[in-house]
Amino acid sequence: MGVRVTTGRTLLAAVVGFGVALSVQAAEYPNIGPLPQLKINKAKAELGKRLFFDKRLSGDAAVSCATCHVPEKGYAGKEALSPGYPGNGHFRNASSLINAAHRKVWNWDGRIGTNLNDMTREMLTEDYTMNMDMRIMQERVKQDPVYVKMFKDAGYGEPSNGSVRKAIPEYLKTLTSTNAPFDKGRMSASAKRGMKLFKGKAGCIRCHSGPMMTDQRAHNTGVPENFDVFMDPMNHQAFIAFTMFQGIPNYMNLKRDPGYFNVTLLEEDMGKFLTPSLRELKYSAPYMHNGMIKTLAGVVDFYNQGSGKDSNKSEMLKPLKLSGKEKKDLVAFLEALSGDKLTSDKHVWKQPYPSEYEAIANWTKVRN
Amino acid sequence: MRMKKLTLTLVAAAVAAVFAGCQATPAKQESAAASAEMSAAKMAMKPSGSPPLAPLGKAPIPPDNKLTPAKVELGKLLFFDPRIGGDASTGCSTCHEPEQGWAWAEDFSRGYPGTVHWRNSQSIINSAYYPRQFWAGSASSNEKQAKSAAKGGVAGNGEDDIMEARLALIPEYRKRFKEVFGTEWPIIDDVWHAISAFERTMNTTGKYEVPLDKYLKGDKSALSKQQVRGMALFNGKGGCINCHNGELTTDTDFHNIGVPPNKRWEEDGLAQITFRFEQYAKGQTEQGYRSAKSDWGFYYRSKNKWDKGKFRTAPLRYIAYTAPYMHNGVFYTLEEVIDFYNRGGFDEEGRTTLFPKNKSAMIKPLGLTDQEKEDLLAFLEAFSGPEITMEKPEQPPYAPLFSMAELKAAQEAK
Ligand code: HEC
Ligand code: HEC
Ligand code: HEC
Ligand code: HEC
Repeated sequence: MGVRVTTGRTLLAAVVGFGVALSVQAAEYPNIGPLPQLKINKAKAELGKRLFFDKRLSGDAAVSCATCHVPEKGYAGKEALSPGYPGNGHFRNASSLINAAHRKVWNWDGRIGTNLNDMTREMLTEDYTMNMDMRIMQERVKQDPVYVKMFKDAGYGEPSNGSVRKAIPEYLKTLTSTNAPFDKGRMSASAKRGMKLFKGKAGCIRCHSGPMMTDQRAHNTGVPENFDVFMDPMNHQAFIAFTMFQGIPNYMNLKRDPGYFNVTLLEEDMGKFLTPSLRELKYSAPYMHNGMIKTLAGVVDFYNQGSGKDSNKSEMLKPLKLSGKEKKDLVAFLEALSGDKLTSDKHVWKQPYPSEYEAIANWTKVRN
Repeated sequence: MRMKKLTLTLVAAAVAAVFAGCQATPAKQESAAASAEMSAAKMAMKPSGSPPLAPLGKAPIPPDNKLTPAKVELGKLLFFDPRIGGDASTGCSTCHEPEQGWAWAEDFSRGYPGTVHWRNSQSIINSAYYPRQFWAGSASSNEKQAKSAAKGGVAGNGEDDIMEARLALIPEYRKRFKEVFGTEWPIIDDVWHAISAFERTMNTTGKYEVPLDKYLKGDKSALSKQQVRGMALFNGKGGCINCHNGELTTDTDFHNIGVPPNKRWEEDGLAQITFRFEQYAKGQTEQGYRSAKSDWGFYYRSKNKWDKGKFRTAPLRYIAYTAPYMHNGVFYTLEEVIDFYNRGGFDEEGRTTLFPKNKSAMIKPLGLTDQEKEDLLAFLEAFSGPEITMEKPEQPPYAPLFSMAELKAAQEAK
């Protein structure tokens, strides 16, 4: 039937293809220029927007994508650890979705390397995110006349779960950095000095390269574990369900986030995470896969001390010996990578949803 | 997540192809099993020679799931624990409420939050005896039934991995599963074992014995004169014994008796959603999905058109507590049920099944007088004894699995 089953491990192939040569010279890294333009189908994106904010897309109709990916927070989570679907917690920070459409690999551990359609499916169906049986979702959507019209206008015909998973990614394409001082060439002198450090002395560009400021590869930076993952059973149960599903050996006794290890099952990948984009960080604190660092100044301090402790830690991470002023400049540069808030109704669906499902009239006569 | 992911991938493909006619294999296997049952069903259709009503014996206990007090106690905890389900709100007892006859007192059962069910909730009392469970007999044991109830999208909507993970973080369950099943961590299949063990103790035997059974065992004072007259009608003019017979008060076969569709499907958007979802979930064809306007019952398993609208003959013990009646709860009282049969399978508006061709030849106008109807009603009451009540156990609490010191040591060792 040509069904693509996306286990984490299919990603491996995708990632290995990325920049093999690791050299130290900044010039060899893809430049951190502005992002390319994406072509967007307006009607589909508009439909995706309504879906993204609609709680009826979760099993018990209590959470929408926006419950965890909050517009005010750059479409990232409010807390260090994301909330979970009711009755559950989560074990990771909810990633920012701004520019997610520019990535090729998703999730902190990079377990999805196909497309945003698969990513959307995972979010919808995973027990501790939305726990949605997509057959029920499809019938809910078909019961709402507003959707019936929007799907038709978008060229999808009758609403189906397949087109839900196409429309949401189309909407995600509209979440891109807008008017960042860095892209507009309007950086302060301090930010400009910070950019130099970024590419030079601080060596950030070795991993944070290209327009998205990420090599989309996995590295171990030694970020300390967030103990709330294990001390709060709601979070721990989601973690156990996840590691069980990923086939991680000894998952009941695991006391750390395995990161990229769950993709390769190679010991050397334990504790590696995908280099995140550095755009829109102004809104998306706290930082790192588990929200362990609260501010950008904190992140810079972390790198300055040679980052964290881990036997697998990247060789590239050494104490940087940045001065106080240099640290400020680096933070100024990171801040210059954030643009306008995407919180107007251009990006946020602000109209109310119906409080109940209208009955289809003449039910016995019309075809289902 | 496993199962959901997998089925969903299949469904996604099926939808993309808009049912391109690809029939999933599991459904095929099911219908093979079902057609074997079919021939058995046909043979049992002879109106004459029905086994007489008999007192309920001991519940059968399968050799691979022996009853022990500790297992039953664990099963009880689990039956009442909503964490056996998707969002920890909807457990078995949520829809099988002890005070509502261990069922749910609405036409359609309440559903998982955000949904409504499409069938009436059956009582779990005596379920241990039924070789085919659910209204259309789609589960062959309590174990299989429990699993599909906890996972179904409009019932528990739970997934194995998350339910197993929850249990692992509840010390009381770790202790009890280890005692009962000898495993280090609770295993989801043992949840169904334990719940089934508990259900097998929930019967109308012993102190809950029903008057009819006392009577059948020789206590002639257990039934009133009127009830005895009703029994004669049940076995004779009413023809009830043709299907409601033997020890279980059911032939456990499938019949279309003419129950009309529930009108709620015409008026209630939420119910319409579930109705269409169930067509998918039950493996309908595109044509079936588009055209179905009532529950096709046993057809979903056998895929024979003559099975449309057939349901398992409902057992009659404990029904005093389990109104409303029928697979879709269209009748709220036993009087209505008797009137329905007396009209030959029509409700008071003259509505009947959408598949009149499949209607059992045994369902005909009965010509019962008012007195006879009252007698029959009185006899139906003899199928219920004392109400079975139970105090809901307290939910054992969660506790972190690791100590802070262990976590710190692991962090140091990285
Ligand atoms: C219950 C909280 C929750 C909900 C609801 C939720 N997400 Fe997420 N999302 C997360 C978390 C946490 C992550 C990071 C997961 C990981 O790395 O393992 C994430 C990651 C993602 C990513 C990957 C981002 C990246 O750059 O790697 C995308 C895309 C995404 N979510 C989209 C969605 C969409 C679309 C929806 C709605 C259909 C949604 N999410 C609903 C919590 C949630
Ligand atoms: C060896 C590769 C590497 C280098 C060099 C590197 N980073 Fe990172 N960076 C990562 C990885 C991997 C993460 C995610 C780690 C995690 O979540 O545990 C990350 C996370 C971050 C984050 C958090 C982003 C978010 O959304 O939470 C910031 C900010 C950051 N890095 C800035 C920098 C700066 C500034 C430098 C230079 C001083 C730098 N990085 C050098 C790999 C690197
Ligand atoms: C959301 C409501 C709901 C939940 C939760 C639920 N049930 Fe049910 N139960 C029903 C309905 C409705 C039926 C009839 C369904 C059908 O025939 O398709 C049923 C049927 C049954 C039957 C069949 C009885 C018979 O006579 O064949 C048993 C046994 C049962 N449930 C036990 C359980 C157990 C055990 C659980 C928990 C694991 C559970 N149920 C959870 C609603 C529910
Ligand atoms: C042809 C077989 C057949 C005959 C004859 C028959 N029944 Fe039934 N009975 C059934 C079936 C099948 C059901 C379930 C139908 C449904 O759910 O749609 C049922 C359901 C019932 C119910 C509802 C039980 C519940 O839990 O909802 C009652 C009460 C009942 N029958 C009583 C009677 C009486 C009284 C008679 C005689 C007047 C009778 N039946 C004759 C097959 C039969």
